[in-house]
Formats: sequence, C-alpha cells, structure tokens
Amino acid sequence: MVDSQEMVKKVFTTNSARINTNKGDAYYNSLFEKAKSRLAALRKQPALKDIDLMEVVESEGVNRRDFMKWASATTATLMLPPMFTPLVAQATELMNRVPVVWIELQDCAGNSEAILRSATPTVDDLLFDVLSLEYHHTLQAASGHQAEHQLEDAIHTFKGKYLLFVEGAIPKAMNGQYGTIGPGGETFEDNLKRLSKDAAAVVAVGTCATFGGIPAAAPNPTGAVGVMDIVKGKPIINIPACPANPANMVGVVLHYVLTGQIPELDSLLRPKFAFGYRIHDNCERRAHFDAGEYVEEWGDDGAKNNWCLYKMGCKGPMTFNNCSIIRYNEGANWPIGVGRGCIGCSEPDFWDKYAYERPMADANIKAPTGGVEKTVDEFGLGLLTATSIGIGVHAVASAVAGKRTVHSEDEE
Amino acid sequence: MKTVDIVERIEGEAKLVCQWNKEKISDVKIQFLNFRGFEFILKDKPALDALVYTPRICGICGQAHLKATVEALENIYKNHNEELILTKKAKLLREIGLNIEIIDSHIKWFYMFIMPDIVKFSQNNLAEYTPLKGKKWLEASMIASETIKSLALIGGQWPHTSYMIPGGVMSDPTLLDLISMQNYMDQAIIFFENSLVGIKLDNYLDFKKSEDLYKVKGDLKDFITISFENEFEKIGKSYNRHLVLGDSLSFEKGKINRKLTKNISYENIEELTLNSFDIDKSKISKEAYTWSKTALYSNNFYETGPLSRAIVQNRDFVNDIHRKYKDSMFTRILARMDELGFLLFKTKELIKQIDINEDSFIKPKVSLSDFKYGFGQSAVEACRGSLYHDIEIENGIISKYDVITPTVWNLGPGIEDKLSTSQKAIIGTDSLAKAKLILRSFDVCSVCTTH
Ligand code: SF4
Ligand code: SF4
Repeated sequence: MVDSQEMVKKVFTTNSARINTNKGDAYYNSLFEKAKSRLAALRKQPALKDIDLMEVVESEGVNRRDFMKWASATTATLMLPPMFTPLVAQATELMNRVPVVWIELQDCAGNSEAILRSATPTVDDLLFDVLSLEYHHTLQAASGHQAEHQLEDAIHTFKGKYLLFVEGAIPKAMNGQYGTIGPGGETFEDNLKRLSKDAAAVVAVGTCATFGGIPAAAPNPTGAVGVMDIVKGKPIINIPACPANPANMVGVVLHYVLTGQIPELDSLLRPKFAFGYRIHDNCERRAHFDAGEYVEEWGDDGAKNNWCLYKMGCKGPMTFNNCSIIRYNEGANWPIGVGRGCIGCSEPDFWDKYAYERPMADANIKAPTGGVEKTVDEFGLGLLTATSIGIGVHAVASAVAGKRTVHSEDEE
Repeated sequence: MKTVDIVERIEGEAKLVCQWNKEKISDVKIQFLNFRGFEFILKDKPALDALVYTPRICGICGQAHLKATVEALENIYKNHNEELILTKKAKLLREIGLNIEIIDSHIKWFYMFIMPDIVKFSQNNLAEYTPLKGKKWLEASMIASETIKSLALIGGQWPHTSYMIPGGVMSDPTLLDLISMQNYMDQAIIFFENSLVGIKLDNYLDFKKSEDLYKVKGDLKDFITISFENEFEKIGKSYNRHLVLGDSLSFEKGKINRKLTKNISYENIEELTLNSFDIDKSKISKEAYTWSKTALYSNNFYETGPLSRAIVQNRDFVNDIHRKYKDSMFTRILARMDELGFLLFKTKELIKQIDINEDSFIKPKVSLSDFKYGFGQSAVEACRGSLYHDIEIENGIISKYDVITPTVWNLGPGIEDKLSTSQKAIIGTDSLAKAKLILRSFDVCSVCTTH
C-alpha cells in the first residue's frame, strides 16, 4: 500500500501529468507561513475528539516513516510543493478540530459506502477517529429523535465552523414532496437550506449532489437538481463521480484544515487538484491509444492485451478526474483496469450524454483538438457539447474507413 | 396512542408510525419517503444503458442490480430462441462478484446496523461496538474494505461497477488476480473465525443442531447471549412463509408456505400500489403513505432473504434453529450471519473453479436492437433477498422496466386487510426499541425500496 503511495506521488509530480497550478515561490512561501500559523492556532483549540493520531496510526502497525510517505504523496496530490509535507502531516493530526456534518438526500448511499473504504495508513481511522464527524445519517450511533437532537446540537455548537457534506440530489418537483426527512417531514430542499446556512462551506459529494446525477436523468421525474442550484452565498466544493473518490473527500478536508480555505476550483466548482486533468492523460492504456491499438470487441485479442478502449466507448478523453492515478478501493483497481472503459461519471449529464457502450461516434460528443494538456476551464463547458473535431487520428480514420462501427453489437 | 419515529442507520431513512393498545403495538405503518423514479428514467433509453443505470439504484447491492439487468437482457434472447453462449468462466465471475458484495454487506450490517442497537439491551458495557469509534466497529469496517477489493479486481471498482454485458463479462482476470482474490477471502475467513464466531470455519460449517449455538464464541456469542436474555427468539415472528426467486451455484429457488416447493413461476408475482404514492397524481389513493409498492406471490406475502434461503436450501444448522424458534427476530439475524460463513466457503470454492483459458465473453450473434419487440425477466439473490427485474424493449429501446427489490417484498405496505411480512412481525411488540430492531432484522434499504 505504501508503495502505491510512492507511485501516486511520482505521477503527480511528473510534468506531463500535471496541470499547471504552480503559482510561484512567493505565493507558496506566504501560504506556508499562513498555514503554519493556522495550524498553531488550531492546535490551541480544544480537540473535538480526544485522540492522538500517531497513536492510532502506530497501533495499526504503520510506522512514522510510512506515515510520512503517505503525507508526502498526499501533498503531491494536493498539488503543493514538497515543503508542505510536514504541515500536511500536522494537519492530518488536527483534523479533529474541524467538525463535519454529513447528510443524505436523494441518493443511493454509494458515497457513504465509498468513504467507508477510504485509502491509506488507516484513513478509516483518520476519518472516523480523528475527523470529528458530528453527524452522519447512516453511520452514527444515535438514531430516531436522539439523532435529530444530535444534529441540532452540532449545527448550534459549531455555528459557522462545520463543513456540510451533502450526498444525493434535491428533488424540486411537486413542492419537494419526492423527498422528505425527519419526523416533521421537512423537504430535502428546506433541510439543505437550513443546514447550509451556518456551515463554513458545503461539500457536494458524488454526481447526484453536484449535478443532479442519475435522478436528474431524462425525463427527470422528480425535478432533481444539485446542491449548487439550491445553496447560494456559501463556498461550495463539488466532488463529482459516481461514487466520488474518498481520496478527494479527504483531500478537501485536509486542504481546509491546512489553509482555512477551500482549494482552487474550476468553473464547475471542482477542486483542480483532483479534476485538473483528464482520465485519458494518465491512463495506463494511453500508449496503445497513441499507437492506434484498440479493443474492437469485448473479449478480443486487443482486450486480452489491455489495448485502448476508445472504440468501445471509453469517455476518458473528455472526463476530468484523477481516478486513473488514485484508482478506487484503496488503489485496488479502476474501471479501465478491468477493461470496461470510462463512462464519464464525474461530468455533468454523464447519465444521458455519455452512458455506457455508446461509442464516441454515436454519443453526440467529440473531444476538441488542442492536445491533452488543456483543462476544462481552457475549453470551457463547450467541451461537453463540442461537435467539432474528433481525437485520435487512428481512431477517426478507422471509424470512417471501416464498416466497423464501434458498437460491437451492431456489427455483422 | 400514536407514535412516530425515524429509523436511521439503514441506507436512507424510514418512518415508523405505530398505534398502541394496552402497551402493545396494535398497528404499524412503515413509510419510505424518498423517491427517485428509476423506472421512469429507464424508459426510452437504449437497452444496454440499463447496465449503467440500475447498479446506481443502490450503493450497497449494485452488483445484484447489474446481474439482474444483464440476465433480464439475456432472457430477451432466450425468448426469441436466439442462442447466446455464456462460458462457465463468465458465469462464475458474475456470481463471485455478487457473493463478495453479499459478504461485505453482511459484515457491515451486523457491526454497523445491528450490534449498536442490540448492545443497548445488555447489562454489560459493550462500548467496543460503538459506531465510528468502537474497536469492533473499526475492525469490521476495515475487513469489509479489504474484502471488497477482491470484487474491485474483477469489477474495476465498488460500489457501482458495470463489468457484465450480455454474452459474458468484460474483465479477464489473471492468475495473480485470482490468487489475490483468494487471499482477500482468506482474510475475511480469519476475521470470521477469530472475531465473529471464535472457532474454525470448518468446524462452524459442521454445526447441525440448534444446541450448537452454545459452541459459538466471539462477537456472535454476544448477540446470542443478549438475545436469549431479552427473549428475542420470541418476537418478530411473521407468516413464516419464505420465497427464494433466484437460482445460482450458491442458492436454490423455491418457496415455503407450509411445505417446500421448488417450482417457481414469475407469473405468480404481482405488484400493487394501493397504499403507495404514484408519480401520476391522479392515481394517488387516499390510503397512500409510502413510496414503496407491495409485492405478492400467488396473492400472499412472503419473506425473502438469508433465512428464507437457508431453509429453502435445507442448510441443517439454520433449519434446526428455525424449527425451534420459527421466523423470529433472533433466527432472522442469526441466519444472515450463518450465510456469511456459508458464502465465504462457497465463494472460495467458486474462485478455484475458474479456468483462465476460457473466454470471458462470446459475442451475441444479433443485437438487441434487431428485435422489434422483446421482453425478459430475471431474479437474483441480493444481500437482502430476492431481486426481480422485468424489461420490455422495442427496437432496442426500453419501453418498460420494472424492479421489485427485496425490501419491497419484506417491508412494502400491507394491502387491504392483509398485513405485510414486516408489519405482521412488528405488531404485538411491547416497545419501540424492539420494534425498530425487528425492522432492522430484515436488513432495510430505503433507497432500494423506493428506487
Ligand atoms: S452519484 Fe452515484 S454514488 Fe452518488 S448517490 Fe448518485 S448514484 Fe449513488
Ligand atoms: S481512450 Fe480510454 S482507455 Fe484509451 S487511453 Fe484514453 S482513457 Fe485510456
């Protein structure tokens, strides 16, 4: 596991893979000073939970050296220069100063499930032991009225300080009656508005909370929307994907603990450290894409040799996310790793635009030209609907020349 | 008297509305008040897109939905007499994936949803089971994360994978992958042996009689002790009618209504909405109080889930416990944990049977869009019980998609004068805390129920 951290760090620090977030030495030096004094101030605050992280880490059989390796990989992931590593390590230990309230709205519980398996030296512990999860619908001890009180307590006590994590979309149709919560039957929309009012920031986790997700798929029967369509006048951080990668949730919290600020965001409010580049930019099959070697049909020789899945409908070239580096389930694997292609789950409307086996040619989307180093902001949202020029000379050429449409089942 | 309480620590939320008479619950309504509308969303989508949508019905049993979808689509071929070849390897990889999901879910259910409430009934201080910080809670969460990695190896990620497709699966594990999967299974077995039952898995699987309960050590013993102290073997009894719709290498289909029948026909399944909200406002009845529908088999309510599976399959240990304590809350919970042991053993065996030289996928000769009209059904056994998918397509486009989830069988609203399985189990209980536990014993998933 620790070696996979080394790998992560390497990928994040090589030039080819990185979007340019470098803001120059002056900026980092001042951020460094700021972070130092913030951490010192946090340290003086009483811990919400009386737990010593290093004790936890060591009791799980992870030594200090491995922990520092983890911290340095995480620093790279957050796109901060290496000098921040000791501060990231400290910030991790101070995560118990930041209260978190987690609510579930119109969801599948998938993100809660995902966070239960977040990576690294005991990040389960980082999250559950150290992070002060003041309220979590599914995981907390309390239930029923007791849980309601706990929630009220938390938002009162930590007024203006807590991070509100939201999982799931918000139904607006039929006066919000498609989703109600609590004994009084408060609508999801009212609930979200009430709980976000005194939050320091709102973190929308998963594609449902960010962009409406599957519930918002045509014909959107419940009028589902994302958090940013409801909450106004608050910092909002979107962590899309279905499910969102726990590493990115941890990253956002760490960044907040470290700097007191939310990380730099793109135009879709996604942290750049996580969504600054495309899946395609760091894909392990990329060499095959460049060489024009494609899987033409599930189970063919190309599939057996792990060739590129572009022709099988892989949406990696237009999907911004870091799962090609971080992977899922503590680095165990990711979709392209088993040969199934990316479905673009961290993009708005993926459910209708990008779905499944629909190949590029039929998907009504084309990646723009301009190389692979551009970010979503450079392209703007036009990327998602652009119909101009296809990518991959080989792919386009063979799609045009051959009778082979990419849809494996359509072929005779 | 009437009480309204909220049940959290299930996936989503349920509202429990109880009527009381002489300090016993005389009537109960279980409400699920969150709806997304999957069946409406799936309509007019290309058939294969269902493979991306349905796993997202649920973050806990997405594999089961995926498998149900792919098999319903394959059933369309069958109904057209179109040959579709599935290799043994593909079948195994699908079933192993599903089994791992069930294993993961059972571990979490016991430690995260059941034990925190059970220990409140104990005189002893069992703080180790406290959510989010108790030692046992953390240990269970860790082992569940480890176990599910073996599914990620063939599925690419969990939750929400889509590695199955009509004709097989997309993944082609290497020998190394298979060995890693075995290793993850072994870790889970060690957890089962050392923490949950305190004896070797082989010895546990030899249990035949209810008296063997006393040989159980470990955390399950805490559950057994607390249960007998509080007479949990006497509460939560329902109709004692059991249904298993799915047929696989791990489970057998069948039903028990007094006697065991292995003959199951989807024709006998019926879904009603008398007490359910409807998206079409003109169809909402005055009696509607939940988004869940009602599912009946041959006009009767049946229980579905691990207890039903164990007795339909005649697994001795659970069978004998069931003979003695009927379909009580105790039996239901114990059967689920027994299934964990059974599946750990079974899944390891299945992994051994994979021949990596076989193909993972054989391309169907025709495309679904070549059928002017098609229909197909499927049923699989998910963690919580039988999951049923029913699909109709026209020229490759979905014209109807109907899903009946396990929680609908167990926790949907009763109809007219008939109580549903869980209503019957709860009525007569003398405390709200017990009523909630009975509800939990069915392993409630609100997000699945309403989909
Ligand atoms: S984004 Fe995905 S994981 Fe999240 S709630 Fe929606 S369907 Fe579930
Ligand atoms: S098209 Fe997909 S599989 Fe191919 S290199 Fe790009 S991301 Fe990887």
